[in-house]
Amino acid sequence: MKKAIIFSLAFLMVFAALSSCRGRARVEEVTPPPPPPEVEEQPEVEKVEEPVIVKEPELTEEEIFMSKTLEEINLEAPLQMIHFDYDKYFIRDDAKFVLEANADWLKKYDAIVILIEGHCDERGTEEYNLALGEKRAKSTLDYLASLGISADRIRTISYGKSVPLDPEHNEISWQKNRRAQFLIIRK
Amino acid sequence: MKTKCILLGGIIIFLAVLILHPQQEVVISIKEGMPAIPLALPDFIVLSSSPESKAVAQELHQIISDDLKYSQVFQLLPKSYYSYIRPLNPEEIFFKDWESIQANILFVGEVPESEGKNFLFEGKIYDVKAGRLIFGKRYQSEKVLLRLVAHKMADEIMKIYGERELFTSKIVFISNRDGNDELYMMDYDGHNQTRVTFNKKQDYMPAWSADRKKIAYTSYRNNKAGLYILNPFEGEITEVVSKGTNFAPTFSPDGKKLAFCSTLEEGNPEIYVATSEGKKIKRLTFNKAIDTAPSWSPTSREIAFTSDRGGTPQIYIMDAEGSNIRRISFGGSYHDAPAWSPAGGRIAYVSRVDQIFDIYALNLRTEQVVKLTESNARNETPSWSPGGRHLVFSSNITGTIQLYTIDYDGSNLRRLTTKGENKLPDWSR
Repeated sequence: MKKAIIFSLAFLMVFAALSSCRGRARVEEVTPPPPPPEVEEQPEVEKVEEPVIVKEPELTEEEIFMSKTLEEINLEAPLQMIHFDYDKYFIRDDAKFVLEANADWLKKYDAIVILIEGHCDERGTEEYNLALGEKRAKSTLDYLASLGISADRIRTISYGKSVPLDPEHNEISWQKNRRAQFLIIRK
Repeated sequence: MKTKCILLGGIIIFLAVLILHPQQEVVISIKEGMPAIPLALPDFIVLSSSPESKAVAQELHQIISDDLKYSQVFQLLPKSYYSYIRPLNPEEIFFKDWESIQANILFVGEVPESEGKNFLFEGKIYDVKAGRLIFGKRYQSEKVLLRLVAHKMADEIMKIYGERELFTSKIVFISNRDGNDELYMMDYDGHNQTRVTFNKKQDYMPAWSADRKKIAYTSYRNNKAGLYILNPFEGEITEVVSKGTNFAPTFSPDGKKLAFCSTLEEGNPEIYVATSEGKKIKRLTFNKAIDTAPSWSPTSREIAFTSDRGGTPQIYIMDAEGSNIRRISFGGSYHDAPAWSPAGGRIAYVSRVDQIFDIYALNLRTEQVVKLTESNARNETPSWSPGGRHLVFSSNITGTIQLYTIDYDGSNLRRLTTKGENKLPDWSR
């Protein structure tokens, strides 16, 4: 009886081992790879394209302006000087046009702070000329302010006759030297 | 016989001219109400035999002689007079001799020794009529300071006679000789021209303090015309104000105040006053017109200034507090740069006629105006000498702007500068 149990157990084990062997064999049963498809012979085609540069946005006039140094801007002298009559500090009609153009420019670049320098010719005395130069700068400031430019953006200074534009001693150089000129001091 | 008579006559005329000569000089001074004091300045005595000492003695004598001649306070006796009397014996002075040639003062100078770089100098001043020593001083110095020693001695003589020190005074001015406008100073006679500022900025309109120790001036820095006070002997600079354009500073003679022109408020040139340290700034003028170029009266109680409130630049006077304004210049269309004489009686100023600038002096007592310069040029920025007997000013008469001095009556023109252009002089008080 004991023998019969052992036998049947052995049988079961062999059966189980055989059946497990059969399962593994099925997995290994891989179909052979299909033959490569027949390729039609034709030339390789390369699509030629120029490499595309990603365009940066164009600089605005303001940005170009802001990229310059104060020295560069002043060298370009965007604000034109104006001239005065002998001994006088009122704004002449011809100077008004110049100041209007200057005011337009100042409105465009509204962060700009300017210095107005008043100058005189040599035919006035030192002390009075320094005061007169200041008056010329001040009347220039007032005119720009009347055109809508904030006075906070404007400083004034006088050089009297100490910095002539033209060192000669004739009517033309004197007229040239009686002036208010502009310096951009902040942007 | 006839020739002898003519010869004799000639000698008499010659002697008369000699005798009259100093009296004529006296007459010129009497016009000013101050007769020049006759002073004998015989050659200085050299106690050592070295040629160096002799040269030092001669140079000192020359400088002191030039100083005293320039003073208009003293009148040097002609050298020839000394040959009429006994030679000077410093051990035993025959005062009667010196009185006989009309000397009021006898100056005796001695150079005891002079070795290498150094020298000794002794000066004694005698009152001839009283026959006594008034003052004596011994100087020990280096030869490079010989001019200063001579000027100091000459100023001692001035002080004895109640005069301000003139020969050790300094003129501060602006020169571009080294490139840009910087401060310079020099002796009254143009010697010792020395640069004071080295800042490469444009410096302008300097003015001495009453004690001759500080200079106020305008300096263009950072696009501002600021006012600064410099102590050139200690190298200290103080900023007074840098807002607006600030210029034409002037210290009051009492040493307490500093007046100047500024556009500090409202951007209009007005006259302001501060303490002599530049503190407590106070506005004096309130007018839409230009007010500029202040100049203190000798009492420091009034200020002369330029204003165009009447339409053209004219000279006005106001009280030191800004009140009681009255016009004092008339008869011209352009007057500026008033300079009140430290002696009190005069205000010098510039008048422009047909683009020519000349310097005039208004006598405040007589209200007479005297023209001091006469040239087809621009003469400007007058500044008085300490005693008010001389003026320094700038002129472009030679084509370039240079500094000159003249006497209060317009005579005795002297050129002081040659290098570069030189302007805006201020004579220390």
